[in-house]
Amino acid sequence: MFLRRVLGRGLMLAAIAVLFASASQAADTLNVYTIWSERYATEVFRAFTKDTGIDVRFLRFSSGELLARLIGEKANPQVDVFFGGIADAFVAGKKEGLFERYVPRGAEAIPAKYRDPDGYWTGVAMDPICFMVNASFLKKNGLDAPASWQDLLHPAYQKGLLMADARTSGTAVSRIFSLVKAMGEDEAFAYQKKLDGNVRQYTESGAGGALPIARGQAAGGIFFVVDALEMQQKGYDVAISYPKEGVVYGVEAMGLIRGARQPELAKKFLDWAASPRMQQIYEAQKINLIPTHPEVRIQNPALDMSGVNLLDLDIEWSGANRKRLVDRWVSEILK
Amino acid sequence: MGVGDSEITIPKHSRQRPTAAGFALRAAIWLLLAVFVLYPIARLFLALFLPDGQSGGAFDAIARLADAFADRYTRRATLNSLLLASSVGLCGTALGFLFAFAVTRLGIPRIAKAFFSSVTTLAFVSPPFTGSVALTIVLGPGGLLPTFFGLPDVSIYGFPGTLLAETLTYFPLAFLTLATVLAAIDPTLEDAARGLGAPEGRVFRTVTLPLCIPGLANAFLLLFAESLADFATPLVMAGKTFPVLPTQIYLQITGMYDLRGGAILASVLLAPALAVFVAQRRWVGVRSYVTVTGKGIGAPRHTRSGILARGAILGTITVVTFFVVLLYATIVASSFVKVLGIDNSFTLDNYRFVFTSGLNSIADTLLIAVSAAIPGTALAVCIALLARRGGWCGAALEFVSLANAVFPGTVLGIAWLIAFNSGPIVLTGTMGILVALCVFRYDATGIRTTLAALRQIDPALEEASLSLGASRLTTLRRVTLPLVLPAVKAGMRSLFTVSMTAISAVIFLVSVNWSLLTVRILQCMTELMFAEAAAFSVVLVGIVFAASACIDLLFRFLCPER
Repeated sequence: MFLRRVLGRGLMLAAIAVLFASASQAADTLNVYTIWSERYATEVFRAFTKDTGIDVRFLRFSSGELLARLIGEKANPQVDVFFGGIADAFVAGKKEGLFERYVPRGAEAIPAKYRDPDGYWTGVAMDPICFMVNASFLKKNGLDAPASWQDLLHPAYQKGLLMADARTSGTAVSRIFSLVKAMGEDEAFAYQKKLDGNVRQYTESGAGGALPIARGQAAGGIFFVVDALEMQQKGYDVAISYPKEGVVYGVEAMGLIRGARQPELAKKFLDWAASPRMQQIYEAQKINLIPTHPEVRIQNPALDMSGVNLLDLDIEWSGANRKRLVDRWVSEILK
Repeated sequence: MGVGDSEITIPKHSRQRPTAAGFALRAAIWLLLAVFVLYPIARLFLALFLPDGQSGGAFDAIARLADAFADRYTRRATLNSLLLASSVGLCGTALGFLFAFAVTRLGIPRIAKAFFSSVTTLAFVSPPFTGSVALTIVLGPGGLLPTFFGLPDVSIYGFPGTLLAETLTYFPLAFLTLATVLAAIDPTLEDAARGLGAPEGRVFRTVTLPLCIPGLANAFLLLFAESLADFATPLVMAGKTFPVLPTQIYLQITGMYDLRGGAILASVLLAPALAVFVAQRRWVGVRSYVTVTGKGIGAPRHTRSGILARGAILGTITVVTFFVVLLYATIVASSFVKVLGIDNSFTLDNYRFVFTSGLNSIADTLLIAVSAAIPGTALAVCIALLARRGGWCGAALEFVSLANAVFPGTVLGIAWLIAFNSGPIVLTGTMGILVALCVFRYDATGIRTTLAALRQIDPALEEASLSLGASRLTTLRRVTLPLVLPAVKAGMRSLFTVSMTAISAVIFLVSVNWSLLTVRILQCMTELMFAEAAAFSVVLVGIVFAASACIDLLFRFLCPER
């Protein structure tokens, strides 16, 4: 009796579960992967749906997970567009044959340095590296916000800096690129060895150190400006500054997936997203990214980059040197 | 060992001709394991070793593996992983045993028992990301505890911090296994020892502890595997001085965009898992741990242990309890204020966010966890019953059912993605693949708990039933199953909980149609919305507790006579 009762009642419950599970799927929607935050992505896709009537369903991941997922799905792609990923990921994915060549209509207006020369991806935003330091830490130590890479070597920062780990974080890779571009490679690694004495921990994610710094559990760190501004908007008292030697910037790009199920919808989206209309959403919706389209004007002084020494990064060069520089960072700085 | 009846030291199950039903069951289980355990791993290695069908890939992969191990850093990471996994196995099993002993043997009031049990559930939920953030707030440099003890600059990052965090997360698995084992020990055995004049300490050392060996061995194996597969805790806690292999693998794949390199490293993890598995089988060996004999079942008596031992046990678990409660208090506090420590004004906005924008994910997660827990529990019982018989066939079954648990979630997730996104079986985008992943990756606890309980049952009980003319099926359902029901229940609870909190493998299989609570927590964390992530975590903890209560009710409903 025991087993029959267990089986009978168990089956009853299983049947209920299956009934609940049979959800239906809608057709004619665009499927997208993004690394942008939920809020940013929602604003952009909502505007697209409003303009065109096409629904967008999206998933967000970190760029490494996203790329691994695209490689795993290569034989049977599940999405049509990869939107808002850092250009590095596109360079790596292009080599894996993940993307289809497509230059969106009107994309020629975007400067060539933000686009793939072969037409596999188009940059829609840029995001420079900056310093973010806890304001009360600065006050307590009588320091000004750092204005040079050398300022971070000040003994007050000893074991107080949180930096991202170059093996997991695009922020960290851009930090290394900035140093290499600003000082030359060997000089940059000599500097990082000195800086290591002031580093408490290398965090997994680029933004991982932001919260402890904002809470005052650490002194400062190096971030993409999008994360630093996000902390400021949350109400934390942090100072954002840039080194006079210069910083590189990340390019946020988009591209068409090879073997997309809805290539026409995907192209429609890419055309729309390459227009100034899309990049105007950034400032209106407090998306802290800097437009790449020259026709888009910015009012927010925090996003005004005219006073910042921005170093241009050849994306092919960075793609080719990324692994070597990260390996060098692991073997010389981390160990 | 001098325990149990000497005539029945080796549980020899009546070697009847296997019935057709039994054969069909065995075939079905092997088929399921082949599809959901062996096939994805095979597809992964095929894709890695023979890319584009070139046989040169295999040599290349072996060369890369050799390269990786020529590197001192990788070797150190491997040794660190083994050290960490063994330490977590030992400490977690010991801590789980203390909790189980206190709850089953110390005669503490009912309410205290319930409290300590809920603390283990609480520790086990350990919502991803917020759990480690809470740990940093409490234990990090300048955190609550170091400041309280006047040591604001002490850093626990590295081995101690990782060991602490993993032990606190995984000891509840040991508790679940050991509480059922301890509760099932026939008190007359211990009474006999006392009657012969043995002091309490000696009774414990020579009777109670040896009888727990199957439970201890299973708990250790479980914790060892969990730690070996865990990359998330070391990622936050290990810092730069203590590299471990699972984290290296994760970094290789998601940081260096090197899927092949990472997965090749992951294949190495199977070796220590196999070694520990063989060692635990040796250790548990062929001795008898039979304590459920059907004779003189009395209520377990409480140990009249010395005041010192009692104080030490209760003291330890109180400290751990305090710590766990402090961690969760941080999360709860964060969820009710704007920005903890900066703007402590009370707000319900975080919960408003959870119950509007997050409602979908709560419903989806709940549905998946429930759908996984029910067939998963049935499967765990079947596998445990078949594996109990031992022999190489049982051992193979036991190991294969454990194999998924030792791979870091990232690697397993990618293996499943490759296997089920193209080829003969396409499941991606469905709910089925998420349910199957939960079942086949997280069933290990259920299998091990049930197996430990089965090894306590005197085969004579079942033989008696058989010799009275009952069929094997009747014996199974009237004798065996009711006896292991507490273990089955424990397995179901842990399967449900892990299905609710899993992230590492699931992230590769979630689709636009199915959003999960943990994925939402991750999103909140990447958007630096810690307060919202904390509110999600509190809701998650609430659901797990409600579900535990439901599972209790379910088992009473299925089996009211108990």
